[in-house]
Amino acid sequence: MSLLQISDLTKKVGNKTIVDRLSLEMDKGEILGLLGPNGAGKTTTIRMIVGLVSKSEGKVFINGEDTSLHFEKAMKQVGVIVENPDLYKYLSGYDNLVHFSRMNSKVTKKRISEVISLVGLEHSINEKVSTYSLGMKQRLGLAVVLVHKPSLLILDEPTNGLDPAGIRELRGHLISIVKNEGVGVIISSHLMSEMEMMCDRVAILNKGKLIGIHNVSEMVEDECSEVGFEVDRPDYAIQVLQSLLSGKTIIADRKQIKVHIPKERIPEISQHLLGAGINVYNIQTVKKTLEDKFIEITGGNIH
Amino acid sequence: MNLIRNENMKIYKRKRTWVMVALVIVYVLIQIINLKTAEDTAFGKDWRTKLEQENISLSKELEKSNTLIIEDKQAKKKLLLNQYYLENNIPPDTNAWSFAVGQISNIIFAVSLIAIIIGGEIVAAEFGSGTIKLLLTQSASRTKIYFAKYTAAILFGLFLTLVGILTAILFSSFIFGLDGLGDNYFFVKDQTVVGVPILQALIGSYLLNIPFLFLAITLAFMISAAFRSTTFSIVISILVTLVGFILSIAMNGWYWTKYFVFSHTDLNQFIFGTPSVEGMTLGLSVGFIILHLLILHLISYPIFVKRDVA
Repeated sequence: MSLLQISDLTKKVGNKTIVDRLSLEMDKGEILGLLGPNGAGKTTTIRMIVGLVSKSEGKVFINGEDTSLHFEKAMKQVGVIVENPDLYKYLSGYDNLVHFSRMNSKVTKKRISEVISLVGLEHSINEKVSTYSLGMKQRLGLAVVLVHKPSLLILDEPTNGLDPAGIRELRGHLISIVKNEGVGVIISSHLMSEMEMMCDRVAILNKGKLIGIHNVSEMVEDECSEVGFEVDRPDYAIQVLQSLLSGKTIIADRKQIKVHIPKERIPEISQHLLGAGINVYNIQTVKKTLEDKFIEITGGNIH
Repeated sequence: MNLIRNENMKIYKRKRTWVMVALVIVYVLIQIINLKTAEDTAFGKDWRTKLEQENISLSKELEKSNTLIIEDKQAKKKLLLNQYYLENNIPPDTNAWSFAVGQISNIIFAVSLIAIIIGGEIVAAEFGSGTIKLLLTQSASRTKIYFAKYTAAILFGLFLTLVGILTAILFSSFIFGLDGLGDNYFFVKDQTVVGVPILQALIGSYLLNIPFLFLAITLAFMISAAFRSTTFSIVISILVTLVGFILSIAMNGWYWTKYFVFSHTDLNQFIFGTPSVEGMTLGLSVGFIILHLLILHLISYPIFVKRDVA
């Protein structure tokens, strides 16, 4: 049984379809990213999964429990942070934890102190949340969603408003939680590089439709990559390369010449260049990022 | 139950709440000072002559033709009561208990206006602060959250009324004394004077005035849950209850007030008095109030449960 199973999830507002028959599955111990440009339907999808927004069609199962039929039972296993974790500012961090642990049965005091130390808030837990920094709020938010030991964590744009250090810290927490507590995480973001570092798989959404689900490791490691040669006589170098790689596109950018070749051919090509009396100053392989791949897949319509 | 404890925690852990409690206490203190400085409480030994004088001026009042129905009614009641005191040789002295009985409807009115603030923000504030997203994604149905919040708002109102009444008894006892618990409380019902033990009057009067509080809080809660706006909810609710309260007094005795819910919220008229309009009964009024409460919930409950939180 999958940890999370979504089938034909659809949201229509008026005659606009915001999410269109989206289906996917994920398992425990996995970090799945929902990737897509603004307005692709990531947030709506997540809010439908957690019951904040009603579904026009489709079903959501969490550990086999239908969220429309048994909401309370299904949500027992879920921790949700939608955007920034908005907590009760006038309560202390500890009271916030008490508040949300009361909403789920079987949370002991021991567990509460456990999550406090997990996110490293021992020293400020009795202070009011209004005195917390954004990073501290983010950590308290994590403690709040982890306190009832969920098997599925759902995070919507958790990196919004965080500075690079905060994002890095959050990433560290998430990865250690997945390792130590064996939960599955579904996370939406438009920050490609972040997703690349965090996720095992990414589901790419565009205009409400699921375009594809990819393993991140496969996506970024292609056999062919772009290689740039910095040379002193680009015109001549192009001629040499043309005879070597007939039919391939060669892009010249001042003294940089870029070609698409497998890694194994780099020594051969550089030998030929040197043999033709061309000085090579620099050879650079441009690694493809998730972002490039993403733009390739969505056809460049990021906005 | 845990959900109600949560709501209570969110109410009572805020300083603002205790400012409201302090306001109620100050309000009651002002009432005590008012009564103490007003001359007609100190009847002393010559209470007979004072009551006789009062009766003469009341009779003159009654002869005037430009008075409201309620003024006439009040004057007639006072006249009957004064005559009763004179005939039975009972000095109309104020003590802590009779003061409290007399203040109950005032206290509940004032408390209602304050409790509206909590009723008006208890749902809307969660939307305002964004905490609604965390609240609704826990293992608790929206129905449970809705009723937990409503219960907490009502409990807060009841708590404030108790604070008000206990303050009234406690502080007025310093001035008027605690004696007189065994005395009777007198009221006019159907043109005759009736007396009941004062404690019975105190508890009875409290219970019979409570519907006003329920109506005020429910109205504020309804607007809060349906429209998600704290300010809107508080302002509208205070306006409606104020206007309703004033109209129910000013228009007391007019036939159409039979269909006006604020004329029904003071159930005292059926037990410790005379109904403001002929044909009104206790059962009818209670039913009419419950109908209004139900309608308010029928508006806000479906909206709250179905709303998309975007």
